[in-house]
Amino acid sequence: MKKLIILVSSLFFVTEAFAHHFYNKFPVTLKGYSGSKTNSVSYSGQIARHVLHDSLKKLAGKGDGGSNAASLEAQMMMYFKGSKEDLDIIAPKTKGDFKIKQTTLNQISKGKNLSGKTYKGIINGWPGQMTGPEVIEFMIKKAAKTKGGFDPSTGYNYPQLISKFAMGAVFYNQSVDNYLDEKMTADNKPNNKPYKDGAHYTGKEHSWDEAFGYWGAASHGLGLDAKQNYNVTKMKDMAAADQNKDGVVDLKHEMNFAHAYYAASYDKGGKTNYYNTVTQAFLDGRKIIAGAKGDALSAKERAALAGHIAIINENWEKVIAESVFKYAGSVYKDIVKLEEILASNGNTDKQFSKYGKHWGELKGFALALQTGKSNLGETAVKLNRLTGFGPVLMNASQVTGVDSQGNYLKEEAQSWGEFKLHMLKIQKLMVDKFGVKAKASDMLSDMADLASKMGNSDSAEND
Amino acid sequence: MTEGTFLTEIFEHFFDPKKRVFFGYLLVSIFLALGWLVFFRNKSFKKAITKIFDIKILFSRSARADYKVFLINRVFMIFLSPYLLSQMVVATSIYYFLHSIPLFKTSHFPEIPANAVALLFTLSYFIFDDFTKYWVHRFMHKWPVLWALHKVHHSAETLNPITVYRTHPLEGVVFSIRGAFTQGIVISFFIYVFGNKVDLVTILGVNVFVFAFHIAGSNLRHSHIGIQYWSWLEKLIISPAQHQLHHSIDLRHYDKNFGATLALWDWIFGSLHHSEDVDSLVLGIEEDHIDHQSLRDLYIHPLKEILQISLSGFRGVKSIFTIFKT
Ligand SMILES: [Zn+2]
Ligand SMILES: [Zn+2]
Repeated sequence: MKKLIILVSSLFFVTEAFAHHFYNKFPVTLKGYSGSKTNSVSYSGQIARHVLHDSLKKLAGKGDGGSNAASLEAQMMMYFKGSKEDLDIIAPKTKGDFKIKQTTLNQISKGKNLSGKTYKGIINGWPGQMTGPEVIEFMIKKAAKTKGGFDPSTGYNYPQLISKFAMGAVFYNQSVDNYLDEKMTADNKPNNKPYKDGAHYTGKEHSWDEAFGYWGAASHGLGLDAKQNYNVTKMKDMAAADQNKDGVVDLKHEMNFAHAYYAASYDKGGKTNYYNTVTQAFLDGRKIIAGAKGDALSAKERAALAGHIAIINENWEKVIAESVFKYAGSVYKDIVKLEEILASNGNTDKQFSKYGKHWGELKGFALALQTGKSNLGETAVKLNRLTGFGPVLMNASQVTGVDSQGNYLKEEAQSWGEFKLHMLKIQKLMVDKFGVKAKASDMLSDMADLASKMGNSDSAEND
Repeated sequence: MTEGTFLTEIFEHFFDPKKRVFFGYLLVSIFLALGWLVFFRNKSFKKAITKIFDIKILFSRSARADYKVFLINRVFMIFLSPYLLSQMVVATSIYYFLHSIPLFKTSHFPEIPANAVALLFTLSYFIFDDFTKYWVHRFMHKWPVLWALHKVHHSAETLNPITVYRTHPLEGVVFSIRGAFTQGIVISFFIYVFGNKVDLVTILGVNVFVFAFHIAGSNLRHSHIGIQYWSWLEKLIISPAQHQLHHSIDLRHYDKNFGATLALWDWIFGSLHHSEDVDSLVLGIEEDHIDHQSLRDLYIHPLKEILQISLSGFRGVKSIFTIFKT
């Protein structure tokens, strides 16, 4: 009996300890608030956008080669630009035991879209000198005409391109370049006023929550390990996802989306701790804001917040750079396989579509990396040139631009060998400029392993 | 760095099977020497033991200089090694370069099994490494600037396994550059062609061929035990006595037997000399005006000499051409 009491009470302390790691409950501090709300945390609009993004990605692979192009394009546009009517959630959807609580968008938040929150600057890494929203619309139109989202004539995989680019142009950009930037200045969205008329949370509280929502971590993610967080997104670990044990996964706070998922995917390798670092910085920053108790933030509080913002910016950028690194390695390996198939006169179709998928992820993340707060300057120029506007195709051509009608222009490309070298240089660029550590698919690791196995040659030994 | 780890670092070569003076190899060498003296030189067991552990050789003035140089060089190398050219720098640049050769495609040869690739790699590295050692050693003798450094090794008047470390630190730097290039070239080429199937075949973590060389008594090259091989074998593999002859003061033995493991290179490039009875050899170099066993002269004199050579620019330029003439 005594043992049982100890066990129960220690369990209680464990849960209690974890509770402080949760980004799900902060008091209402807004002065003069007389309503009944007791929790000031709110970021359901961001979750709605994550769901729009996941659904849009799914739809981008639904083309049947032309006959459903018009209707598919219209449907995708609704998920990009929003709709007056409620939209079905296309992804994530219940899968076996992994039951999702919400089935339509309005059950999360009403009237949300992606287009209004997409980075408005010119996207230099994509042909046609278009703005962020124009690039996504352009890709949506092209995707609708493909079979399964892949266009063999250009090597473009639209679900990957749209998804990874949007992750940068919407989530990353909104968070680090808007909510954690302008909205954290003293006069913008002050803490002693409601975020907007009638709101029960302050300007700073809600701005911070929105930034956190775009990051995509589950509110209890700090209590899980990297593998669990990864499997939550993969819908393979119901026990880890269902924090309140109500038998369903509430997308509003029990799911890991987008960047947070990628962070966990690298962290599970054991070399990095991006997920916890960024999520903890969000949590610590939120505590500072709650600690102001509805007063405007002091200079000291804003300075402390700036420290957490710097941690978030740096590590989030690294998470994207890790993806660029990883997919550059995947593209390299795909080319080697293509060369092997060519050498044995085999059919390259399947491998070519894999290659297009990986290049699409590389391109999407490379574009995403350029939508952050700081202008990457020369690094961006290099990255765009090395990646190319399109993958090198089997006939040694490559997309080099678009004409005024939006048709792709192709020209003779570099050799396979040179394109592979570009991938190596992209990996080096990510190491040199962003200090990536997880280094998935490191093309130089085989050499490094071998070199360390061989050891230094006996430099002081003489014959 | 704590005192403890510093001391372990100094003596770690004796516990590292990658190094020639690993205690296991030294032990094996003692048994080989014993076998040679008893069975091939008809010495009694007792006489053989006294010969192997000859105090006059192991604690000669020359040997004592070897031990001091060993200690000083270890300290040098521990501090110098982070700044030396790494094989990865060389390997990476060559690996990049290979991509830009249009006709040279990567094919990771899926049909060739991984262990065949590993064996090919291990053997190729061993042979190429030995080949570059031969040529660097040959240059050490032919180019005055390098000879000024290499003389430190040749100034030993008695040989013992530690003589392998009797090296000027600058010569050590030259050796490390050679090592970086050799490894870098082989690693990059193999990885480019065979991908991740490339591996090193090892025993106790050591290249299997290097292990064989050490187990076969590599330590006896620097010793007074003149094991000789059959004439045909001495054209392929250097016997201990052949290397001892490389240290001989006799004019007939000048610029012979540069090889590290294989005699093949000496045979091909015309510098082979079969072994002779080691007890009749006088070892060292003929130069009277300096004390070859004083640390000051061992470390400083080569630098003075290099300075003199570079100051007389004409001689320096001319000396470069003499290499190509020979
Ligand atoms: Zn020697
Ligand atoms: Zn020599």
